[in-house]
Amino acid sequence: MDFSFSSDQQLLKNSARAFLDEHCKPATVRLLWDDPRGESESMWKEMAQLGWLGLSLPEAYGGSGLGMVETAILLEELGRAAYPGPYFPTVLAAAAVEAAGTDAQKKRWLSAIATGDARATLAFLDSDLDWDPAAVTTRAEKSSKGWTLSGTKRFVPWAHVANVLLVPARAPEGPSLFLVDPSAAGLKLSPVQGMDLATRWVHVELDKVPVASDAVLGAPGQAAPLLSVLLRRGAVGAAAEMLGAARRCLDMAVGYAKVREQFGQPIGSFQAIRHKCSEMLLEVENSYSAVYYAAWALDANAEDHELAASVAKAYVADASRKVCGDAIQVHGGIGFTWEYDLHIYFKRAKALESMYGDVDYHREQIVRRAAR
Amino acid sequence: MDLNYSPEDREFRATTRRWLESNIPTQELKTLDNRKAWHRKLYEAGYVGMLWPKEYGGWGATPMQQAIVQDEMARVSSPPAINGLGIGFIGPTIIVHGTEAQKKRYLKKMLTAEEIWCQLYSEPNAGSDLASLKTRAEDQGDHFVVNGQKIWTSSGPIADWGILLARTDAKVAKHRGISCVLLNMRQPGVEVRPLKQITGSSLFSEVFMTNARADKSDLIGNINEGWAIAQTTLGFERGGNALGRVTRYVTAFAQLVKATKELKRGGKPLIEDPAVRARMGRIFADLEVQRYAALRVLSALQKGDAPGAASSITKLSYTEFEKRYYELALEILGPFGQLMVAREEFEEVDTSSGEPGTFATAFLWSRAGTIYSGSSEIQKNIIGERVLGLPKEVRADRLKA
Repeated sequence: MDFSFSSDQQLLKNSARAFLDEHCKPATVRLLWDDPRGESESMWKEMAQLGWLGLSLPEAYGGSGLGMVETAILLEELGRAAYPGPYFPTVLAAAAVEAAGTDAQKKRWLSAIATGDARATLAFLDSDLDWDPAAVTTRAEKSSKGWTLSGTKRFVPWAHVANVLLVPARAPEGPSLFLVDPSAAGLKLSPVQGMDLATRWVHVELDKVPVASDAVLGAPGQAAPLLSVLLRRGAVGAAAEMLGAARRCLDMAVGYAKVREQFGQPIGSFQAIRHKCSEMLLEVENSYSAVYYAAWALDANAEDHELAASVAKAYVADASRKVCGDAIQVHGGIGFTWEYDLHIYFKRAKALESMYGDVDYHREQIVRRAAR
Repeated sequence: MDLNYSPEDREFRATTRRWLESNIPTQELKTLDNRKAWHRKLYEAGYVGMLWPKEYGGWGATPMQQAIVQDEMARVSSPPAINGLGIGFIGPTIIVHGTEAQKKRYLKKMLTAEEIWCQLYSEPNAGSDLASLKTRAEDQGDHFVVNGQKIWTSSGPIADWGILLARTDAKVAKHRGISCVLLNMRQPGVEVRPLKQITGSSLFSEVFMTNARADKSDLIGNINEGWAIAQTTLGFERGGNALGRVTRYVTAFAQLVKATKELKRGGKPLIEDPAVRARMGRIFADLEVQRYAALRVLSALQKGDAPGAASSITKLSYTEFEKRYYELALEILGPFGQLMVAREEFEEVDTSSGEPGTFATAFLWSRAGTIYSGSSEIQKNIIGERVLGLPKEVRADRLKA
């Protein structure tokens, strides 16, 4: 029983922290708010050189063969920096190709992703925003050359910079997963902007989009289990990122409470503020336990890995919302201003709260497993 | 990171489970003698005093082994060992601060529960502000004469000995004039009056000391240095019950699920009501996080890391959780949640308080957890000051000093 990081894992965390402190400052995030792509090409290339993009890919494709714990370590740091870019959608899509792809599909995409030459994303949600992997409504119909896809995909993260979209669609055989070229005929991308300007979503309309027969990922009709796996990884990854954002907000609140004076004393000496900060730390520490337990459980395929993923997402969503919100309260008026950096992390946590299954979805998954 | 139990730990768990299955009392332990006999059996099997060094009669086991024993005992709702304050807090204090003579005289009989111990710390006017205590111990050369009143004393009526904090110098700052001494409870100057709690039972007492005698040879550490010793005593919580506690929560959850399948709303079982499901999902996530946090604490203890002020986070976390947990249980159970004597199978739980009972008992007990051993407010002060490094508050008593 060892809940602590190995020295390699600690090293990864430290180097991620150092890199992001230098290359992903709040000022960097702010600059990219106005950028049409919303991400930095040079940062992407450096992340590839650091081995982050191939972190959990096999060595044969230029990866490091590491697991969800290492991915969570990186994502926590990326959340702490409110990193803007398609890192997580890309590695999640890569995990799908690695799990279900043919040799040709893997050769085509995995090395390119590991080197930073390709970006990818997963178009999970249809127009009714149902996270149930079996509920996909986008249709896949057989054609002479393969398939045609029709339907609407919503809140697809970073699709506007992706070289390939992973699109779940309902074939006659059942839920299936397709590798789709975003420049294909009949496919229309429109940006959708939420409150976090560093999170980019895209509305994707598919109108009889032609897809070759060799672009099915796995067997037609067999995608639901893989989509469940991806949803769990997505949930734990989002929880890790929310944890990072919450940790940043806690650190800022505590730092501010030490120096901000009212009534002739630092406000952190008042129990009203100190107790709030202590409650925030409790939530951050519990979130940490939830995230890394779940990440380990996915890697180890532990008996309770499905439960643990839902617990992490449901718990950390509540906790990070509270911690980031309380950080604004501790700051007072300054925390509500555009110029102050707190809202960057507050909004990041909020944006992730509804992704990869919201709190209600995961609570239902928990009850299904706990109340049999 | 590897959250699997080691093969040794799994083997140890299997051995413990087998032992408990063949030794657990089949009848309720009604008398103190019955409970002492069960305690003795647990001790001789190596399941009491597990973390104590072997030279003092302990077993030199690992924190994980201790947690596994508590977990297995919770799994089968085993009657607990007794003398928990002695073995968990007072004995370790004597091991660290006591003289050789004190160790020889007291430790073995504490482990075997031949002598039961209590803690004489809190007073009617010294609760969270423990250092303001007023009980006096006057130096009479070879002994102290003790006068004063203590309160919230667990095991008071059955205690043979107590560890006492008393003022030995009233002229210096309040925490510099306190001494720590062992007090014989079986003497005419000590009167114990049980206090009835909101659960209806009396697990703690008031203790009145009128010209009671404590020998100088029973002074722990130096005179007027008792406050520092009390601080280490409070810090001896070692997470030993971390797993057992969670197992009790899980067992209670299963009872709750059973109830939601039998009780109905609108003709349908409660468990099919989305509002009930959402709340059950929320509390079970909360419960699981308590389990992950327990594993994290145990992992740190296994490595020999001292939890220090971080144990305040653990205590705050699970005691506040227990309140949320049993509040929800009672809301779901409706009038069944009011019963103090179980009639249906799903109404009975292991309250983890030493007092068996129903969800109602557990609900009432959950109000104690955020008060004893340092209230939630005190824990938040400790976390704020010692973990987050926030500035100390300006306090009226510090301004005076």
